[in-house]
Amino acid sequence: MLRFLLTLFYGFALWAGCAVAAESAPAVAPGRAQLLAALLAPPAEQVAAIRGLVGVEDAAITPALTAWRAGELYLVPLPDGSRVPATLAPAPNGGEQLVALSVLDGTAIPDPAAAPGSATPLLIAPKSLKPLDTTAPLRRAMRDVLEVAGVADPSPSVRRESIERLGQSRKPEHLPLLQARLVIEKSPVVRTALADAIAFIQLADSSHTVRLAAIAALGEAHSLAAASRFKELLAATPPPPPDETAALTAALKKIESHWKTVNFFGDLFRGLSAGSVLLLIALGLAITFGLMGVINMAHGELMVVGAYSTFVVQNLFVSVFGATSTAFHFYFIAALPVAFVAAALVGLALERGIIQFLYKRPLESLLATWGVSLALQQTFRLVFGPANVQINAPAWLQGSAALNDVLFAYNRLFVIGFAALVVFGVWLALNRTSLGLLVRAVMQNRQMASCIGVRATRVNMCTFAFGSGLAGLAGACLSQLGNVGPGMGQLHIIDSFMVVVSGGVGNVLGSVVASLGIGTVDQLLQPILGAVIGKVLVPFAIILFLQWRPGGLFPTRSRSLD
Amino acid sequence: MSVPAKLSDVEPRFFTRAQWASFLLPTLVLALVLPLLNAALPAEHLLRPSDFTLNLYGKYATYAVLALGVDLLWGYLGILSLGQALFFALGGYAFGMHLLLMIGKDGQYKSDLPDYMVFLGYKALPAHWEPFYSFSFAAAAVLIVPALIAFVFGWLAFRSRIKGVYLSILTQALTYAAALLFFRNDFGFGGNNGFTDFKRVLGADLNSPDTRRGLYVASVLLLAGVFLLYRWLTRAKFGHLMQAIRDGENRVLFSGYATARYKLFVFVLVAAITGVAGALYVPQVGIINPSEMTPEKSLEAVVWVAVGGRGTLLGPILGALFVNALKSWATRAAPELWLYIIGGLFIVVVLFLPGGLISLPAKFRSFWVKLRSKAPAAESLAAGH
Amino acid sequence: MSHPILQAEDVTKTFDGFRAINALNFYLFPGELRTVIGPNGAGKSTFFDLLTGRAKPDTGGIEYSPVPDTPATDLTKLNEYEIQRLGIGRKFQTPSVFAEHTVFTNLVLSLKGPRGVFASLFHRLDSAARDRLDALLKLVRLDDKRHWKAGLLSHGEKQWLEIGMLLASEPRVLLVDEPAAGMTDEETHRTGELLLSLAGKHSIVVVEHDMSFVKQISINGQVTVLHQGSVLCEGKFDDVQSHPKVREVYLGRGKN
Repeated sequence: MLRFLLTLFYGFALWAGCAVAAESAPAVAPGRAQLLAALLAPPAEQVAAIRGLVGVEDAAITPALTAWRAGELYLVPLPDGSRVPATLAPAPNGGEQLVALSVLDGTAIPDPAAAPGSATPLLIAPKSLKPLDTTAPLRRAMRDVLEVAGVADPSPSVRRESIERLGQSRKPEHLPLLQARLVIEKSPVVRTALADAIAFIQLADSSHTVRLAAIAALGEAHSLAAASRFKELLAATPPPPPDETAALTAALKKIESHWKTVNFFGDLFRGLSAGSVLLLIALGLAITFGLMGVINMAHGELMVVGAYSTFVVQNLFVSVFGATSTAFHFYFIAALPVAFVAAALVGLALERGIIQFLYKRPLESLLATWGVSLALQQTFRLVFGPANVQINAPAWLQGSAALNDVLFAYNRLFVIGFAALVVFGVWLALNRTSLGLLVRAVMQNRQMASCIGVRATRVNMCTFAFGSGLAGLAGACLSQLGNVGPGMGQLHIIDSFMVVVSGGVGNVLGSVVASLGIGTVDQLLQPILGAVIGKVLVPFAIILFLQWRPGGLFPTRSRSLD
Repeated sequence: MSVPAKLSDVEPRFFTRAQWASFLLPTLVLALVLPLLNAALPAEHLLRPSDFTLNLYGKYATYAVLALGVDLLWGYLGILSLGQALFFALGGYAFGMHLLLMIGKDGQYKSDLPDYMVFLGYKALPAHWEPFYSFSFAAAAVLIVPALIAFVFGWLAFRSRIKGVYLSILTQALTYAAALLFFRNDFGFGGNNGFTDFKRVLGADLNSPDTRRGLYVASVLLLAGVFLLYRWLTRAKFGHLMQAIRDGENRVLFSGYATARYKLFVFVLVAAITGVAGALYVPQVGIINPSEMTPEKSLEAVVWVAVGGRGTLLGPILGALFVNALKSWATRAAPELWLYIIGGLFIVVVLFLPGGLISLPAKFRSFWVKLRSKAPAAESLAAGH
Repeated sequence: MSHPILQAEDVTKTFDGFRAINALNFYLFPGELRTVIGPNGAGKSTFFDLLTGRAKPDTGGIEYSPVPDTPATDLTKLNEYEIQRLGIGRKFQTPSVFAEHTVFTNLVLSLKGPRGVFASLFHRLDSAARDRLDALLKLVRLDDKRHWKAGLLSHGEKQWLEIGMLLASEPRVLLVDEPAAGMTDEETHRTGELLLSLAGKHSIVVVEHDMSFVKQISINGQVTVLHQGSVLCEGKFDDVQSHPKVREVYLGRGKN
């Protein structure tokens, strides 16, 4: 299987390479010519030639030198007497023969014997070639080149990483290179990294003023790496001069307080998104439990129905449009209504089949729906397997936005926004539509409502299906944040019951406050007290909270008892 | 209007003679005859209950005590506690600590410390473990730890008049939170592996048939004793008050009774007794881990009671036996069906058989009476035609 | 005039902005039989809720002094069962009996005596208590139904049972909410006679709608008219009936 895939891959690479080669004229960039010269130079001049590559900007340098150092670079002799530096790979037809991939352009070297224009690659027998020799001085030279090669890489993120690495190495010899780069560098992110790296190296500068300036610059830049270096410097013997110590301490303080703030807002954001997930789950519960007085222990499983619906829609999109198509990235939009409807239908069946007989017996409805939840879990296991299923986030939900070092993941942002939208929708539905009026009428007095002509049965069905559908939406959202498996419903259900209990009954605003509160407090406590402690404290906090609500949750004030 | 059947007076006799007989006979058979047959008869004898059978019955007896507690709270007092497995497991853990220390140097690591502590790099036994070397301290902890947790939770919950499904959900959250805590290694109780590999209790080898028989007899006697205790509680005025609280707590409140104290008393008492059952359960199955205190376990105990028949004392015992026998059969015969079976039991019992199995004979009887009264009428109708 | 056994001064209670009780002043004197009337929503049941600890007033004080010249007890600080134990018993508007228990057990549970957990565990009925229960059963005419489940009784019988339960707890103050509802004329009349016979030994407040019943029981006592949460007027039945304001808000509307 693996072999087949490899073959496929190389075939594809070959085809692509030939296509490119056929189109573009072989205009060799100056950097590449210098590389070629260094590779082909006589051994005595090679060290100097390689060192000459420092700071030269060319994408082929890094792979060529990396292969050479690893002893995987070969000089392939051609009939015209020229030699092409190349790496070897198995031939696409799966035989013993190897093809040579030129390190200069990454394409397979065509067979000179074949007809011009044909794509037949040059085949090489294994062990017929010897890798290019390396010596210790050569390897050192190559290491030095590779160390700084990234600074000139075309990709800004690679540049940034290698610049940060150079800064960490604290070698003064890199200073000229970095400073030269700073003059021509355009990307602001890389410029920041460059300034940090220069300042980092300058921490060990012989000049007192340069050192002070570097400390101040790093403090200003909130560099985390600098903070740990500062601590080392402060603890060193002999300690730095007094004014430098003061500068170090001040800069350290600045950095630490900055990151404390960043972490706080990061936690707050995560808490807000966790609370939003909780809110999505709890809203459905607030309707079925709060308004209808029905304890639906299978609510978590209705949520899982929504999550698996998302999974099915995703697979459908893959098989219809393909996994790499643009259309695939919109599967999630299509999955939302599907999840809602699927969960609502299951909820409807549950209401008709069981719950309608138990409206007056809340404890019994709790037990019966628990039974349903067990059966549903087992069904998920049998249909989708016991393991978690793979859900790929669409491109527009991946990654994050950074604001002043605080990262805002797009999927979390989406959940917060979506929850806000759903809350608004539910509020509208309950307070501004005739169905909402009927719902509230039936919830307040079932018998009276049916006396005045409200079809209570139908209202019950609709309300329950609506609450279940909301659970489905929550499940679809959760599929973008965490694992989707048969047991995922149980993970969140108790938390969301807590939300409904503490938020007040049938109270949308109460649910919002309670879920955001529980989600945020849990997240903020985690760094201080550990991962589980929030969950442990919540029920106790709720019981304590109920202590000062006189008469419990529902102060009775009717003429008769109970 | 038909005159209703005479209901029991406020102070019924504890047991009638027939009731005494039907209590003592099975107790005698289970606690005396079976273990004697097991000890005296040769291994292949037809009448000899196997060691495995006794061990299984002993386990069921501790389950039945757990179920009786659920029933006293739910069937009599109207409190559906989904946290009873927590008290069962706490009793088990308290006794498990003692059993673990009694392993001594016979553990895998040949250390004075329990195996998991060695594995986690403990240097010395934590201070709160020291007293558990004493059997009597552990036995006291078996009663006191669950009772204390129940007291703190119950005091807070009952005084703020949390009841019904709200109380159920909070008890569920309580046991869920506790399970999460015990699952953690740094909580110090062995993480998700819990305690296991026990060797001896009170100096006796836990693997010897004699010790196992002793544990079985202790479990049966515990069940019988708890049955008598609950019988005493549910009769007379206290029992009537419990049921009055179940049916209309406010009315009881306005009759001058501090209902919260009644609930707290029963809640704490049941927690302590359930803890004892848990303590006897652990040496018989040889392991205690946090999965024993999950909400699922509590709900399983509730289904025993619901299936057997709540509001009676015999029902929960029957239910615990029936459902667990069913479970051990189903998990062998068709493991993938077990969740459907227990889920279906929940639904069927709630919808169609609220009285549980124990109400079946009466149902059949009334069905039979109806059938007989109808049959002659139909005959005469046919004859007249 | 003697000291009031029960007094409520300047009591206000609001529910979600609605003033159910508004600056109410009420004094009940020992041995008195007071009848409270008022249109629906006048705050009668809420007033009873405040007296029995079921609801707490927003402002104002409610005091109870069963024994003259001793410090009064502040009822606003106590809960339902503490107030009951002080000797203030209440019969609810809709009969609330223990439906699953027998008539006899209902009375046993209401009998005056220690109310603690352990007292109930070790409780035994002595012969004096049995005699008292027999007398009560005869009084409320449920002697032959003592073994019936209370839930099977008729509405009027439940009312009687609840009165019996109230008497079993031997309160000093009886708060009786619409005792005649669901009773035949004959039963209503007997209830009135019973209440009249209890007056003097007990202090009684009766809330009632049935005017002939009110007339019957207020023969010696005062009638208080509640309107919009406060006292509209107080006096003899005839005076109240002819009071112009009362006719306007209550009786006048009742005739339409």
